[in-house]
Amino acid sequence: MSVKFSNAVNAKKKQSLLKRCKKEETSGDDSLTEQQLLAKEYITPEDVIKLSSFTEGFLCSQEANCYDIEFTRFKIRDMETGNILFEISKPSPSEYDEDDLGIQEQEDVDPNAGRFVRYQFTSNFLKLKTVGATVEFTVGDKPVNNFRMIEKHFFRDRPLKTFDFEFGFCIPNSKNTCEHIYEFPVLSPELCEEMINNPFETRSDSYYFVDNKLIMHNKADYAYNGGLN
Amino acid sequence: MVLLKILKKLKQKEKEVRILVLGLDNAGKTTLVKKFNGEDTHTISPTLGFNIYDLEHRGFKLNVWDVGGQKSLRSYWRNYFESTDGLIWVVDSADKARLDDCRKELHLLFKEERLAGASLLVFANKQDLDGALSCELIAEFLNLAAIKSSHWKIVPCSAHTGDNLLVGIDWLLNDISERIFFIE
Repeated sequence: MSVKFSNAVNAKKKQSLLKRCKKEETSGDDSLTEQQLLAKEYITPEDVIKLSSFTEGFLCSQEANCYDIEFTRFKIRDMETGNILFEISKPSPSEYDEDDLGIQEQEDVDPNAGRFVRYQFTSNFLKLKTVGATVEFTVGDKPVNNFRMIEKHFFRDRPLKTFDFEFGFCIPNSKNTCEHIYEFPVLSPELCEEMINNPFETRSDSYYFVDNKLIMHNKADYAYNGGLN
Repeated sequence: MVLLKILKKLKQKEKEVRILVLGLDNAGKTTLVKKFNGEDTHTISPTLGFNIYDLEHRGFKLNVWDVGGQKSLRSYWRNYFESTDGLIWVVDSADKARLDDCRKELHLLFKEERLAGASLLVFANKQDLDGALSCELIAEFLNLAAIKSSHWKIVPCSAHTGDNLLVGIDWLLNDISERIFFIE
């Protein structure tokens, strides 16, 4: 795990340690395929942690989100300058900042609209060191226990970083925000070059769990060649 | 249990602390945290859930949970007690009418075993307002002297101007680290 949020406290560290030990014991490839996962009644955090690549499809239906959790705002700021690099909010989708990084965002139109986002960044984005990412989400009538997000980023089949964050309990009908500060992983100039030259081959899967069951799966892909054409 | 907690903390390389920010609605909790975090504090609306922040200060990683203070939300506060190292209780020093409420809610918290031992910082906020009560008076009204299970300190401040926020947070971090990180 390249990034660890402070809230992922001790329990999780212990967990990952245990997991590592277990892995060494079996020393086999215990990763699951997408098909194997889809056959399960429900998918757990451990299942997606084992996934070694991005998925082709979505691992749960949109109806699995029976808690009406909805993401309403997303913001990224550069912690070195304090500049807001990107901001989008649901009620007024046109409301986002376009600054010197020339970031644009567009949403695909298909049955999975709303859970797939395409980001077009310029290559400057790959030079950022520390960013703050804020999400805002609302929760429906039911209390939500053990809300957890696991987000995995890949360039082609290569894992770039994984975020694992436990929101814990969410109050019914609440609106919540969370800002994570994280260091971008150090990528070699060669890899950056490849990522710039191969738009939308950088992908992420965001998995959301309530009580250890997958209830939402969102996808994004990224290009870093904005402003070059 | 406490010993286990200490051992766990010692193992961590980074000094991570979890801080819970509570208080009645309109006390200025969100403004205070945002001000400390260097964010814009001009358009702050009532918190209808939680705001979580990752902050770094003096080599500490602060995981700050600011939970809404409206009456309907207070019964949910308990869901956020677990693993709390420090509690910041924010008081609107000019809201005399609700000091009684404020005292009751604070003392209810310390009946909870899961918060016992957490360092308590009381911010007597809004000192920039005319009619704000002094720190000493607020300490008396809130009956802070009755809190024996935790170290506590009251600090006058203004989240609006940022005055004295550092003094308070520094005390909190010192107290937490004396309890948790450097016990030999």
